[in-house]
Amino acid sequence: MRRWLGVFFVGGSIAYRGLFNWIRPATYIPTMLGAPLFQLIFFTKLGQYAHAESRDFYIVGNSIQACAMSSVYGMTMAVANERWFGTLGPLLASPANRSAVFLGRGVPVLANGLLVSAFSFVAGALILGFRPGVGAVIPLAAVVVVTVLSCTAFGMLLGSIGLRAKDFFFAANLAYFLMLLFCGVNIPLETLPGWMSAVGRCLPLTHGIAAAREVAAGASLGHVAGLVGTELGIAAAYAVAGLTLFRVLERESRRTAVLDAY
Amino acid sequence: MRSLKVVASGFQMNLKMLGTSSFFLLTAIVQPIIFATVAFYMFRAGGRNGTLLYAALGAGMMGVWSTTLFGSGGMIQWQRWQGTLELGAAAPPAMALIYLPFSLANAFTGMYAMAATLVWGRLVFGIGLHLAHPWLFVLALPATVIALGLMGLVLASTFILYRHANALSNLLEYPVWIASGLVFSTSLLPIWTRPISWVLPPYWGILAIRHAALGGAVWGPLGMVVLLGAASLLISTITFRWFEHAARARATLSLT
Amino acid sequence: MAVIEAIELRRTYRTSTGVLRRKPLEVEAVRGISFTVEQGELFGLLGPNGAGKTTTIKMLITLLLPTSGQARVLGHDVVEDAREVRKRIGYVFGGDRGLYERLSARDNLRYFAELYGVSGKAQRTRIDEVLELVGLKGREQERVEGYSRGMRQRLHIARGILHDPEVVFLDEPTIGVDPVGARELRRTIADLIAAGKTVLLTTHYMFEADTLCDRIAVIAKGRIVGEGTPEALKAGVAEGRVTEIDAFGVDEAAVARLRSIEGVTAVTVEEREQKQLLVVQTTGDRELTAPLLAELDGFEVGRVSSREPTLEDAYIALVTAE
Repeated sequence: MRRWLGVFFVGGSIAYRGLFNWIRPATYIPTMLGAPLFQLIFFTKLGQYAHAESRDFYIVGNSIQACAMSSVYGMTMAVANERWFGTLGPLLASPANRSAVFLGRGVPVLANGLLVSAFSFVAGALILGFRPGVGAVIPLAAVVVVTVLSCTAFGMLLGSIGLRAKDFFFAANLAYFLMLLFCGVNIPLETLPGWMSAVGRCLPLTHGIAAAREVAAGASLGHVAGLVGTELGIAAAYAVAGLTLFRVLERESRRTAVLDAY
Repeated sequence: MRSLKVVASGFQMNLKMLGTSSFFLLTAIVQPIIFATVAFYMFRAGGRNGTLLYAALGAGMMGVWSTTLFGSGGMIQWQRWQGTLELGAAAPPAMALIYLPFSLANAFTGMYAMAATLVWGRLVFGIGLHLAHPWLFVLALPATVIALGLMGLVLASTFILYRHANALSNLLEYPVWIASGLVFSTSLLPIWTRPISWVLPPYWGILAIRHAALGGAVWGPLGMVVLLGAASLLISTITFRWFEHAARARATLSLT
Repeated sequence: MAVIEAIELRRTYRTSTGVLRRKPLEVEAVRGISFTVEQGELFGLLGPNGAGKTTTIKMLITLLLPTSGQARVLGHDVVEDAREVRKRIGYVFGGDRGLYERLSARDNLRYFAELYGVSGKAQRTRIDEVLELVGLKGREQERVEGYSRGMRQRLHIARGILHDPEVVFLDEPTIGVDPVGARELRRTIADLIAAGKTVLLTTHYMFEADTLCDRIAVIAKGRIVGEGTPEALKAGVAEGRVTEIDAFGVDEAAVARLRSIEGVTAVTVEEREQKQLLVVQTTGDRELTAPLLAELDGFEVGRVSSREPTLEDAYIALVTAE
C-alpha cells in the first residue's frame, strides 16, 4: 500500500514536473493564467455585444473551461511525453503498479486545473462584476471540483492515445476546440443542432457547467445532484478507459514492440 | 536584387512546409472555423441577423492573426529545434531579411483562414458575401494580411531571444482579438485601451475590410494599415539586430 | 541454479512494406538462442549491429514477449512471472534518451526509486550511495539536459542499480562515450561483479568483451555462432595464423581466388583510404604467404605481416562463417 501511494503521489508529481512543458513561471503564467483570463474577457464582451446570454452565463462557462488548458494539454503531456523522452522503457521495465503510475499523474494536473479555474472566477469577480450569492460559493466550488476531475480524466484517455498515435498533438488540439463548441461553454446546448449537443453530453464539462450555472444563480446542490452525478460518472468512465488503454498498449508493446518506435 | 531573391525563395519554401503540416491545418482551418461557428451562434442568439457577415469577417480576421502569431513563433521555435537558428544568424543576409518571407508566407496562409471562414459561413449559415465596395475589398484584404505579417515579424524577433516565446504566443491571441475590435466594438472596453487599439494593424484592417463589405470609409483605415505595416517592418529590422546580438551574447541560439 | 536461462528463444517482427499495397513482412530477429549465466558471472553478448542482441536482452527483461521459447531469470519465467523478474533486475541502456531532461539527476533517481519501491529514509541513503559509485556526486542537482554523454551513461547505470538488483542487464553501455569515460564505466561494471551481482552485457566492442567478460556468446543474424571464454574463442582460431596484406585496387575476383587457396579459412577486406587491408585467416602451421602473394600477382602489394589471432579475428571468423 505504502509503495502504491509512493508511486501515486511522489512518482506522479516528479513525472509531472519532468514532462509538463509549461512548468516554469515564464511559460506557466502566460499559458495557464494569461490566456484563460483574456478568453474570459473576450467571450463575455462578445456575448454582451451580441445580446446573447447573460454575463454570468459566460463567466461560469469560460471559468470552468479554463481548466482544459491543464486538464487536456497538461494531462496529455504528462502521459504522452514519455515517448518523446524515451523514458517509457525504464518505466515498463520496473515492477511499479501501472494504475498508480498512470492515475498518479492526474493529481498535479487536477490541482493545476482547479487553480486555473479558481483564478478565472476571481478575475470574473474583480474585472467583470461576477457576484454569486455568499451561500453559492461552496456549492459552486464543489461542482467545479467534480467538473475539473472529469476533464482531467478525459485528458488521461487522450494521453494514452497519444502514446500510440502518430500525431496526437493534432488530436489533442482538436479535442480542445471541439469542447469549446459542444460543451455549452458559450452556447446553450438547446440552441445547438441535435448531433452537436449529443456529442457534448458525452464529453466532460457539459453537465458540470450546466450545474454550476444553476448553483451560481442560487440553486442548491441537491437540485443539481443529477447533473453532478452524471459528470462524476463521465469522469469515472474516462479514467477507466484511459487506464485500460494504457495497459492494453503495454501488452501490445510486449508483443509487437510498438511503443518503442518513435 | 539579391534581397528579393532571398525573400522569394524563402517564401516558396515556407509555403511548401506549411502545406504539409497538420499544425497548419489546425490553426488555419479548424480553429478559425470553430471560433467562427461559436461567434455565429452567439450573434444568431442575439437576433442580430444582419450582422452575421460582420461576424464572419471578424472571425476570419481572428484566424489570420492566429496563423500569423503561431506561424511566426512556431517558425523560429521550429528552427531552434532543428538546430538551424544558428545557421540563419551566421548567414550573410540580415536576419530580418531572411525571416521576412517566412512571415509573409505565414500571413498568406492566413488567407486560408479567411477563406475557410467565409466559405463555412456561406455553406452552413447561409451568410452571403455581398460587398458594398468590391474593389476596395480586394485591396484592403491583402494589405491587411501583409501588415499583419509584418507585425508578426516583430514578434518573431523577440522569439529569437526567448526560448519559451511559444508561451507568449498563447498569451497574445485573445488580447489582439479584443483590442482590435474584430467581433465586437471597442466601445465595450475601458477608455485607456483605446491607444493600444490604435497602434494595432488589425484594428484598422478590420475597419477597412468591414467598410468595404458593409459600407463606410475605407481609405482612412487602409492608410493606417499601410502606415503601421511599414512601421512594423522598420521596427523589426532594429529589433532583429538587437535580439540577435543579445542571443549571441547569452548563448541561447542553440539551446532548445 | 543458473541465474539467467534462455531456452530456444525466438522473436519475429511483423512489419509491412510499401504504402498502398502493403505486403506483410516477417523479420526473424532472434532464431533460437539458448545460453545460461551462472551467479557472479559477467556474461557478454557480442555481435554486429542488427544481430539480435537488443531484442534478446529485451526479452530477458520482460519488455518483449518471445515468439517461442522460454527464458527464466532467478527461476522466474519472464512471461508468466514478469513482475517478479522486474523487481530483481536492473536495466541499463545506452544513448542520450531515457531521462527526464528538465529534472536534476537526483530527481530522476528519486522518481525511479519510487517506481522500484525504494522509499523513505532508505531512498536518500541509497541515492547518495549510487551517485558516489558512478562518480556523479556533486553534480546531482544539475539538470540532465546539460549532461555530457558519459555523465548520462553513468546516471543510467546509477538508475539501474538503485534497488540493488541481483542481476544487471547492460545494453551497449559504453557506446558513444570517450575512451577515458568508457574506461571508468568499465571499472564500474567490474565493481558490480565484485559486489556479488550477475551481469549480462551486450556490446560490439571487442576490447570490452575481451577484458571484461568471463564468458562470451557471439551472436550473428539471430543465432549464437560461438560461445565460451575469451581464451577458448581465441583458441578456436589459434591453430592458424592471420596474415595481413596491404594491397591496392584488389577486386572481388582476386579475393575469391585467395579464398579458394587450400588452408585459407576467411578473407576480409578493409578499405583504408587509398589502399585495402586484406586479413587472411589460415589453418595449420603452413606458411601460406607465398601462395597468397602469388594470387595477388599483378596488383600492387605493400606491407605483409603475420600474427597470432585475436578475439576480433575469432569473432570475424565466426560471424562470416554463415
